[in-house]
Amino acid sequence: MNTQINIESRQRTQAASSSLQVRGLSLRLDGRVVLRDVTLQLPATGITTLIGPSGAGKTSLLRCLNGLLEHWQGEVRIAGKDTRQWPGGWDALRRHVGLLGQKPCVFPLSIRANVVFGIQGFWRRRRAAARVEHYLRQAALWDEVAERLQQPAQRLSIGQQQRLCLARALAVKPRMLLLDEPTASLDPTSKHLIERSIGRLANELPVLWVTHDLEQARRLGGQVVFMCEGRIIEQGASEAFFRRPQRLESREFINWQVCDCGGPS
Amino acid sequence: MHVSALLVGLVLFLLLGFLWFGAWPFLRQDGIASLFASQWYPFEGLFGMAPALLGSLWVVLLALFLALPLALAGAVFNLELMPSRWQGFLRLGMQVLAGIPSVVYGLMGLWLLLPLLESQLELLTGRSLLAAGLLLALMILPTLMVMSEEALHGVRAEQKESAINLGLDWNQRLWRVLLPQAWPGIRSACLLALGRALGETVAVMLVVGSMDRLPQPWYNLLQPAQTLTSRIGREIGEAGMGSLHWSALMASGLLLAMLALLLASLAQLMGREKR
Ligand SMILES: Nc1ncnc2c1ncn2[C@@H]1O[C@H](COP(=O)(O)OP(=O)(O)OP(=O)(O)O)[C@@H](O)[C@H]1O
Ligand SMILES: [Mg+2]
Repeated sequence: MNTQINIESRQRTQAASSSLQVRGLSLRLDGRVVLRDVTLQLPATGITTLIGPSGAGKTSLLRCLNGLLEHWQGEVRIAGKDTRQWPGGWDALRRHVGLLGQKPCVFPLSIRANVVFGIQGFWRRRRAAARVEHYLRQAALWDEVAERLQQPAQRLSIGQQQRLCLARALAVKPRMLLLDEPTASLDPTSKHLIERSIGRLANELPVLWVTHDLEQARRLGGQVVFMCEGRIIEQGASEAFFRRPQRLESREFINWQVCDCGGPS
Repeated sequence: MHVSALLVGLVLFLLLGFLWFGAWPFLRQDGIASLFASQWYPFEGLFGMAPALLGSLWVVLLALFLALPLALAGAVFNLELMPSRWQGFLRLGMQVLAGIPSVVYGLMGLWLLLPLLESQLELLTGRSLLAAGLLLALMILPTLMVMSEEALHGVRAEQKESAINLGLDWNQRLWRVLLPQAWPGIRSACLLALGRALGETVAVMLVVGSMDRLPQPWYNLLQPAQTLTSRIGREIGEAGMGSLHWSALMASGLLLAMLALLLASLAQLMGREKR
C-alpha cells in the first residue's frame, strides 16, 4: 500500500516536471490511420529527437501537439495542462509551443520586422525592436545581418532564412520547441549553427526535433524516439539506442534506413 | 505580339486623335481654363467643366469607398468562413450580378433607390451624387469582390501557416498577413473598378439629376449634380454636330478617356512593380 502511494506520487511528480505528456494519441486523415495510440513524455529540458521513415507520422504528430490538426483522440498535456482546455485557446498554446518547419518561410518584410512579427500588440512590437539583436544572436544570425536589418528578408540565403525563422519563433518566448527537420535543406554551416544554438536553448527548454539525419540525431544526444507507421516503436537514451537498438525495426532502420513494420493494419 | 501591340497603339492613337480633333474648336477657345470654370450654359456659350469633373470624381470615389469594405468583407467571408462546398455559389452569384446590363441597375435605382432616399432623407428629389455613388457601388461590388477574392486566394498557404505557428489569431492573421499580401491584387481591382465606375453612363444618368452645379458646400452629396458621362449621354443628341457645344462635349469625352487611361497605366505600373 505504502509503495503503491510512493509510486503514484513519484509518477505524479514526474508528470509535473515533464513538459509534454502525450497519452493514447490517435489520428485519422482522410480515413487513413496516421497515428495510433502514441504515448510519449518529454523531460523538462533537453533535446528529444524523433526519427522514423518517411510517412511515419512525425510531422502529423507535431501538428497535433500544437493544434494545427485538431481532430485527434487521446490526451496531450503541456506543462500539466490539457491542450484542449488551454487558457486562451490554440492560438495561446502556439505561443507557448514554438514550431519551426522544414522549409523556411519568411514574411515579405524587413529582417527586423520578421523577427518581431509574432509578438502580440503594436506597441510591444515597437518596443521589442531593442531585443531584436538578442533573438538574432540566439539564432546565430546576428553577425551576418547586423548591418542590414532594414533589408527585405527574402534576400537572405535559405540557411539564413531558416535561422531568421528560428529567431522569429524565439521572439514569441515559447516554453517548448517543436522542430520539423529544420536543417533538412541547409548547408553544413547553417546546420551546425542551428544545432549549436538549439543545443544551448535546450538547457532551458524541452525540444522535440524531427530529423532524417541519423548522424545528427546521434550528435544531438539526449533522447531518441523511433516512430514507424504511426506508432512509437522504441524510445530511449540516444547513445544506448544507436549502440544497441532493442527492436528489430529500429535496428533495420538505423542500419539501412528501411522499416518493415508489418504494413498498415 | 508586336503586331498586336502596334494595333493597340494605333487604335489608341486614332481614338485620342479623333477626340482631340472633335474637341479642338472648343479647346482653342477655352482651353485649360474651362477645367476650373463652374458654369455650363451651352446656349450662352459657357462651358465650365468643373461641376461635371468634380461630380465624376465624387461618384467614383464614393462608390469605391462604399464598395471596397463590403467587397473585402464578402471575399474574406467566402474564402475563410464559408464551407468550401458553398464557396462557388457566392462567386457564381457575383458573376451573374456583374453580367447584368447597367441600364437594369439604372431602372432599379430609379424605382427603388430614389424613393428610398427621398423618404429617408426627406429630399425634394433623390437624384443626387449620393444616389449615383450608391448605385455605382452596387455595380462595381461584384467585380471588386471576385478580384479581391482571387488576390486573397493567392496568398501562399505557408505564409498563413507560419502566422498560425507564431500564435497569431484569426484577426491578426487577416490584418497582418492576408490583407497586406493580397494588397497588390486588391489595388488593381480598385483601379479597374474605378475605371468602370468612371465610364458608366446610363445608370448614372438616370439617378444623378443632371444639373451642372457645383455641390454647395463642396461635400454636399445630396443635391442633383452632373458627371462627365451623364452630360455627354444627355446632351450629345441635342448638340448640333460641329457646334461649339458639340466640341465641348467631345472635350468632356477626351477628359474621360485621359482619366481612364491614367487609371489603366497606373494599374499596369503598379502591377509591374509587384513582380
Ligand atoms: N492532410 C493530409 N490528408 C491526408 N493524409 C495525410 C495528410 N497529411 C499527411 N497525411 C498522411 O499521413 C501520413 C504521415 O504523414 P507525415 O507528414 O506525418 O509523415 P512524416 O513522418 O512527417 O514523413 P516525412 O519524414 O516524409 O516528412 C502519410 O502517410 C501522409 O500521406
Ligand atoms: Mg514530415
